[in-house]
Amino acid sequence: MYHRPMNQAKERNSLSVALVGSGGAGVVTVGNLLLEAAAVDGSYGLMRRSAGPQIRGGESAALLRFADAPVECGGDYYHLVIAFDWRHAERFIDEIPLTAASWVLHDPAGGDVPEPIAGSGARLMPIEMQTQAREIEYGRANMIALGLVSSITGLKLTNISRIVSRSLATKGEDAVAGAGACIARGADIGRSLDIELPIPIAQGGVDDRWTITGNQACGLGALKGGVRFAAGYPITPASEMLEWLAPRLAKTGGCLIQAEDELAAVNMIVGASYGGVPAMTVTSGPGLALMTEGIGLAVASETPIVVIDVMRGGPSTGIPTKSEQTDLNIALYGMHGEAPHVVVAPVSVADSIFTVQWAVHLAESLQTAVIVLSDQLMAQSRMVANRPPDVGFITRRVTAQAGAEKYRRYALSVDGVSAMAIPGTTGLSYTADGLEHDERGTPSTGSQDHLQQLEKRAAKLSGFDYGEHWADIEGHGSIAVLTWGSCTGAVKEAIRRVAEQGVAVRLIALRLLAPLCTQRLNQALEGANRVLVVEQTFSRQFYHYLRSQVDLPVCTQCLARPGPLPLSPGEITAMLMADEA
Amino acid sequence: MNPLPDKSHPKVYKSDVKPVWCPGCGDFGVLNAITKALASQRLPPERVALISGIGCSSRVPAYTKVYGFHGIHGRALALGAGLKAARPDLNVLVAGGDGDGFSIGGNHFLHACRRNMDMTYIVMDNEVYGMTKGQASPTTAPDWTQSELTPSGTHARPFQPAAIALAAGATFIARAFSGKPNTLAQMIVLAMQHPGFSFIQVLSPCPTFRPEQKDWKNIIRPFAVDALPTGDPALAALHCQRDDGMSTGVIYVEARPVWRRSNMQEVAIEDIEREFRL
Amino acid sequence: MTDPQDIATKAEFLAHALALEQESVDRYEELADAMDTHNNLEVAGLFRKMAEFGRKHAAEVERLAADSELPTLEPWDFKWADDEGPETGDYADIDYMMSPVQAMQFALANEKRSRDFYGLVASHSPNQTVRELAGEFTQEEAEHVTLLERWIARHRSDTAIQDDLDPPNIVD
Repeated sequence: MYHRPMNQAKERNSLSVALVGSGGAGVVTVGNLLLEAAAVDGSYGLMRRSAGPQIRGGESAALLRFADAPVECGGDYYHLVIAFDWRHAERFIDEIPLTAASWVLHDPAGGDVPEPIAGSGARLMPIEMQTQAREIEYGRANMIALGLVSSITGLKLTNISRIVSRSLATKGEDAVAGAGACIARGADIGRSLDIELPIPIAQGGVDDRWTITGNQACGLGALKGGVRFAAGYPITPASEMLEWLAPRLAKTGGCLIQAEDELAAVNMIVGASYGGVPAMTVTSGPGLALMTEGIGLAVASETPIVVIDVMRGGPSTGIPTKSEQTDLNIALYGMHGEAPHVVVAPVSVADSIFTVQWAVHLAESLQTAVIVLSDQLMAQSRMVANRPPDVGFITRRVTAQAGAEKYRRYALSVDGVSAMAIPGTTGLSYTADGLEHDERGTPSTGSQDHLQQLEKRAAKLSGFDYGEHWADIEGHGSIAVLTWGSCTGAVKEAIRRVAEQGVAVRLIALRLLAPLCTQRLNQALEGANRVLVVEQTFSRQFYHYLRSQVDLPVCTQCLARPGPLPLSPGEITAMLMADEA
Repeated sequence: MNPLPDKSHPKVYKSDVKPVWCPGCGDFGVLNAITKALASQRLPPERVALISGIGCSSRVPAYTKVYGFHGIHGRALALGAGLKAARPDLNVLVAGGDGDGFSIGGNHFLHACRRNMDMTYIVMDNEVYGMTKGQASPTTAPDWTQSELTPSGTHARPFQPAAIALAAGATFIARAFSGKPNTLAQMIVLAMQHPGFSFIQVLSPCPTFRPEQKDWKNIIRPFAVDALPTGDPALAALHCQRDDGMSTGVIYVEARPVWRRSNMQEVAIEDIEREFRL
Repeated sequence: MTDPQDIATKAEFLAHALALEQESVDRYEELADAMDTHNNLEVAGLFRKMAEFGRKHAAEVERLAADSELPTLEPWDFKWADDEGPETGDYADIDYMMSPVQAMQFALANEKRSRDFYGLVASHSPNQTVRELAGEFTQEEAEHVTLLERWIARHRSDTAIQDDLDPPNIVD
């Protein structure tokens, strides 16, 4: 088991619940129902999934955390574990840390409690969920568990029943009735136990709350940004975004093509965008590796595209179902030649909407490739969030209009952006080219053309005003934490905890990874004499990248760990408090 | 008075960029055939997009006055498919060479045939890689030893473009010769007017690396089958397999549903957002 | 496919004559450009000259056609003896190292094909006017043939294609 120095002091008012089981136990279904029911009751929450490598019948876990404010990361340990069985528990048990205060409700039919759980000091309680379920017509153990958890955590059973009836409607009346009876039986059992674990309920109404996954949020951001064409090749953990987008693109006047491979996907979106339609592809690490030549083409031909990479453990096929931030290097440096492009990353599940919408805006405004780095942790987590504000961007692709004199597609301009003629525009036809070219687009091997076009493509990115969106900055302490992506949630929580202990720490979570706003970053770091870089990599990719771009204080530490275990707020808190004690 | 009104003269479709092709290259004939075919259809240049990959023949877009994209090696069909899907109103032509289309781009060729999008693919086949100095291509004979890269030949069976297109589901398959631009122009018109994916393999000699191909003009002949083109895939397969690859003509035409975007009831983004509300 | 002897009206004949010259001009211009690109300036110049002749002939045909409505023919609808126009030549006979004599031999073959095309129309067209007009054109092309043959005879010394001692370049 991974040893983590932990500082759990003042963990926020939250409740963490893990549901584990294998072979069709239905833990993900129960997790989703619980999250929704809690949300309707007024709680915020986050559910992430941990799955093994099997398509069916494998072990899986639904990991939930409820709080009275938006939840952007998992907790330090779990208060309640419901286990249907323990098969292959060793594969995910690291992801479910327990303490002596934890409760483990396990079905004795599911086998002996494994040593790491039994030895954690957690209180074990056998509950015969399968046996109970068998006594009920159309009964299922997971519905017993749902009733059990609901009553222990104080969720309103009326809400649970309503949500379950709705979600099981397609399974028929018998299934709904069976589930209802199981929930009631589970709730009875729960009430008979001496366990009290309240779900933290937020103040205020729930009218303006959403439940959304990171993959859905990225897809929505793309639609809001104006993407009307997508192409992609199935890959874990990004396929869900493509599946979400396909019908919705069709409903918004666009379309999605399932391509024959990632090489096709990226070139399809270059073609669509050349035709004037904002376009995007979605992939994961192995797909991004295949796409890099096509992304370089978009950069050289100045064709706007957005590429979303939902990162997973690498290298090679790696750990497809688990999260890591290790595609940073390929996103930054993957292209051959000098291909300035934009790399952005959402800082939370909900922020994926804004960040992808912004990515489309940047691609269209700058006529370049924008890579969005999401990851499995965010993408497959479902979050209860406040309704995100509507953001409008005004700038759009600069296009050339019919009648333009002596049109030059790649004309040198003050800001490096030149007007793009959209096919169909009379009199402005040109050939877009991935070969180095002159201002007209005619291939050129001349040093002058090469230098001018290199400068043009670099200048349009470096001179652009990225506004306040380049990073999320909070606080003013002399300690600064630099982080990005899905680590941000845990860092934010750690900073809140240390603040409660009287230590002021500032957060700098980069949304814009490239080009790095070094001037703004230096300003943000002003007065910080200690810096902690937090990332989910083995080789400290983010740390080395920052080191190469800005002068960090001598007292700069790095908390880096590869996937699949997400960094917890407690670990980061411990690191921040280490020198303050 | 002019029999060819300026508007539709083939020269209208030619740009002022001078080809880098070696004098005597078959690709000049293909360029002329393309411009003649566009002129015959009186297509406004801005309604046409010519997409290519990398290689000698892939330089063709810049030599025309239609909208062009000279992309990366092997991916022209994918780029063209994206453009056609996003802009169904455009006439999309994709052009390239045998290495581009059948080797590095082989997978896209198969799937473009299957997908049956309404676009035309013209492959200028000279059985050699010209721009990298004369290496064997997928269509090169197995015993061709003139490349230092394969000094004893490739020992690999040459790729059979027409037969493979047929098996992959192309709905218009033809073979032509670059030395007959008028005949090729007619074939391109037929291909462009065919609803669905049309594929023309153009035998286009390389005077620099395959000087023996100068004899092609003496070998090429029309398919000796009265019933061509056929709509019977089994019969077309028989023609392809029995032929030595030097017979020209439209080999296969089939009416099959063309790829098109699914038309759904349009909704606003706000309607989509509603699904996330509690 | 129909043959030159099927050309039956003056308008149809003039449409062929005009297309023949225009295609000739286009092809010579294209070849001249290609020779320029490949730094064979001498042959480029000769092809350019041939294009110039073609333009003059095209203008003559246009004058003759001033009071006729010429039919619009698709490239594949022309009644040439072959699929292609008589003066477009054969790409296979072109080489970037070709000598001026070889360039003129290429041109000679074009002129002979034109002469033969007009000859077929002159002797077989069902239309008397067309036969007469084609006869004049045959005569003119025959003169071009003679001129070119004389030119070639005067320059007999440089018939061999020179070798390029350098290997080809790698481009993409």
